[in-house]
Formats: sequence, structure tokens, C-alpha cells
Amino acid sequence: MSELRADIGIQSMIKYGEELCGDHVDLQEQEDGSALVVLADGLGSGVKANILSTLTAKIISTMMAAGLSMEECVKTIADTLPVDSARGVAYSTFTIIRLLQNRQAELFEYDNPYMILLRDGKNYPLERSEMTVSGKTIVRSKVTLQENDLFIAMSDGCTHAGIGLDKKFGWERDDIIAYLESLYDPSFSAKTWATILLEECSNLYKFKPGDDTTICAIRMQRQETLNVMFGPPAVHDDSERMVSQFLASAGKHVVCGGTTSQLVADYLHKELRPSLHYADPDIPPIAYLDGIDLVTEGVITVNRVLEYARDFLEDNQSYVKWGYKDDGASQICRMMLEEATDVNFFIGRAINPAHQNPNLPINFSIKMQLIIELTACLKKMGKRVQVTYF
Amino acid sequence: MKVTVCIGSSCHLKGSRQVVERLKELIAQHQLEDRVELSASFCMGNCQKDVCVTVNDNVFSIVPEDVDAFFQTEVIEKLA
Repeated sequence: MSELRADIGIQSMIKYGEELCGDHVDLQEQEDGSALVVLADGLGSGVKANILSTLTAKIISTMMAAGLSMEECVKTIADTLPVDSARGVAYSTFTIIRLLQNRQAELFEYDNPYMILLRDGKNYPLERSEMTVSGKTIVRSKVTLQENDLFIAMSDGCTHAGIGLDKKFGWERDDIIAYLESLYDPSFSAKTWATILLEECSNLYKFKPGDDTTICAIRMQRQETLNVMFGPPAVHDDSERMVSQFLASAGKHVVCGGTTSQLVADYLHKELRPSLHYADPDIPPIAYLDGIDLVTEGVITVNRVLEYARDFLEDNQSYVKWGYKDDGASQICRMMLEEATDVNFFIGRAINPAHQNPNLPINFSIKMQLIIELTACLKKMGKRVQVTYF
Repeated sequence: MKVTVCIGSSCHLKGSRQVVERLKELIAQHQLEDRVELSASFCMGNCQKDVCVTVNDNVFSIVPEDVDAFFQTEVIEKLA
């Protein structure tokens, strides 16, 4: 049985009229596969809240990562945070989730809306117990992780969405759960969940959020490897070695590039069957090859994948395109951004003389640059990436 | 008769899609679906020229504007 991986997606919006967000999420990943996520919501809004939440999240994550106890962390925060002159308190609420080797989750919650856990698409109530630390009541729970567990941590800007507008009491936690259950799809990435919820909050606020609003979604995925071969090798005699290594790597297989896919087809003694269907007018059609999950054109398609990957790290607006479309770039995105936890690139460095035409925007250095940037994006998403050049 | 259009990177940027779509229209207009098999190919090694199209085993290099004339001389007249 392959291990679980945490796919973590965060989205925030700032209170209307403010320039800084008073919520802060800190993420720490440890070598043994344990991860620590702290979502802190500082008192008030603007600069003060931003400082409070950043300090809180950073202090907790640094101390807990170093193995210190919850009690010590909370005491340190209570003693360290600057006291608000107007209210006379130093205050930042927080939610902590610790994923122990991705087998068990330990939650500590202090005054944020309770975290939601969807298991197989249904609300899974956690058994919570209270503990008192430095006069503060902290709610604690533990759960053994399963594939497709979806955790949603949020600041109260989420549950307050719509107060005084369409919702008398805001977007109540039970309503949020019902909303999540109604939309549930195990293939959605954590980032997509965070985006969906944040957009709904934004709608409820009529696009003028009354509070800083932050969502942190954590999806437990089974390890899934995607292998991508792109470009023929610099030395033609290396073709067989390259293709055999690519095919021998476990997981799904995507081949990008016309010449490249012909190399694979020749190796497999199978016929490459390009399609004539333009699912997207700007992206060349895909092709079919027995034994390969997806075959696409090269530079133009990968360039579009990079555009989508960049957007995924920002506000994720292009999800509405690649989430369902059938062009090569959209299909790669679903496999790479949503499904894969690990991506292995097999990059050939042959220079296609036809692409060195200065009138075409697809020369060799652009291709190498695409891979460097795409790799950086995937790493930012928390995926393990390996690049092998031939 | 087999007509194949290159849809590789270079040809795509020079207008493969327009060529494919116009050919589909022309084949339908002349009701030649039974006699002409339109297919796609990745790179055919003629990247330096215009969009690479083959008719049976003859290689042509055309620009999207020339599709109608090409269809007349290389498809309709050859089939006649």
C-alpha cells in the first residue's frame, strides 16, 4: 500500500478597505513526512492583526516543529504577543493541524471555527476534548487519516460571511458542511476547495468582505506518480535508453512532442494515431498510443500547462477551463496538478532545427525554460519533482 | 484517397487548424466522406516550410489561404 500525501491549498481575502491580511497560515514540512499547518487570525484587522497572526503562526509552528509541547507554545504566545492598547489584550485565535507521518492528524483549536473533516465526502464529526493552557481553553482532537480525507480550516471571516446581508447569522458551519458535501468530488485539489469556498464567501459578502477571510484545505492523497517525457534526446543513440527508463518508471505516462511520441511509438511497435479534434483552437490535438496515458504536442501545449500552473498558485481562476476541457494542456493539468503527488520529467535536449526559426515562438531555450519554471511551480505546490535530462 | 495534415508544433503555428477545418468543410460540401480519409499526423519532418499535407504519398506544403485551390487540383481533379 502506498503512503498518503497531504495536498494543502490556501486562499485568503483581505477585509474590504484594508491592505494587509490579518490572517496568517504557516506551513512546515518535516523530513519524515510530518507536516504542521497553523492558521492564525489576529485580533482586529490591518497591520496590528497582521503582526499578531504572523507572530502567532510562526511561533507555534517553529516551536512545535522543534518538538516542544502545546502548553509551552501557548504560554510563549501569551507572554510574547504585544498587548492591544485599545482592548488591553494580546490575542490571536489559531487552528493547528499536525499530520504525523501522514498517518494520524492531531488538531489543536483555539477560538477559530471548528475545523471540518469530510471523509468520503461526508461530514465526519471529530471527538473533541478540552484542555486549559495558561487560562485559555484549547480544544484537542485526534484522528487516523484515510485516503481522500478533506480537512477545512478557516478563520471566522468565513462563518461571518453574509451577516447583515443575505444571512442573518452568517454562513454557519453546518451550512458550509452541507455546501461542501453537495459539491464533493474526490478529484478536486486542495487549492480548488479553498478557491470554491473563498469565492462563495466573497459572494456572500457581496464582494466587500467584512473581515479577513482565510481557508486552508488539506486533502489526503494516495501517492500518485506522473511521468512526463518531453523532447528527443540530444544524442539519437540514447533514444532507447531514454524511452525504456521512462516506461519503466511506475505511474502514469504522458508524452509531449511529435517527434518524441514517434520515438515511443517505434519503441513500443505501436501505431501513433493523432486526432483531428481541436478541443481548444490554440492547442494542437492530442494523439493516441496504446500503453501511454496521454500523448500531446510539445512546446505549445506545455507552455499552456505552465500558464495554468502559475495561475493555480495565484487565484486559480483558470481551473474553470482546465478542470473539464479535453485539450492536451487541460488533460495534463488534471493529471499533474490534481492527481499527481510526484512528477518525474524525462527531458530530451535535442534541438529541433525547425524550431530555431526566429519567426516561431518555440525555440530550444524556451523549451528548457518551460521545464525549469514548471518544476518550480510544482515544487511550490508541495509535489516531489525529479528532472532527468538526456 | 488519404489526406494527412501535420498538426505538429511548427505546422500548428503556421495554421494547421485552419487547414484541417477548411478541408473538413470542403469534404462535406463535395460529399466526399466515403472517398477521402482525412487524418492528422505529428511532425512529418518538413517543418521549415508551410503546413505539411500529404495526399496518399505525395507531400505538399500549403498556407491556409490556398486550401481551396489545393483541394480542387489535388483532390477533386485527381478523383475525377
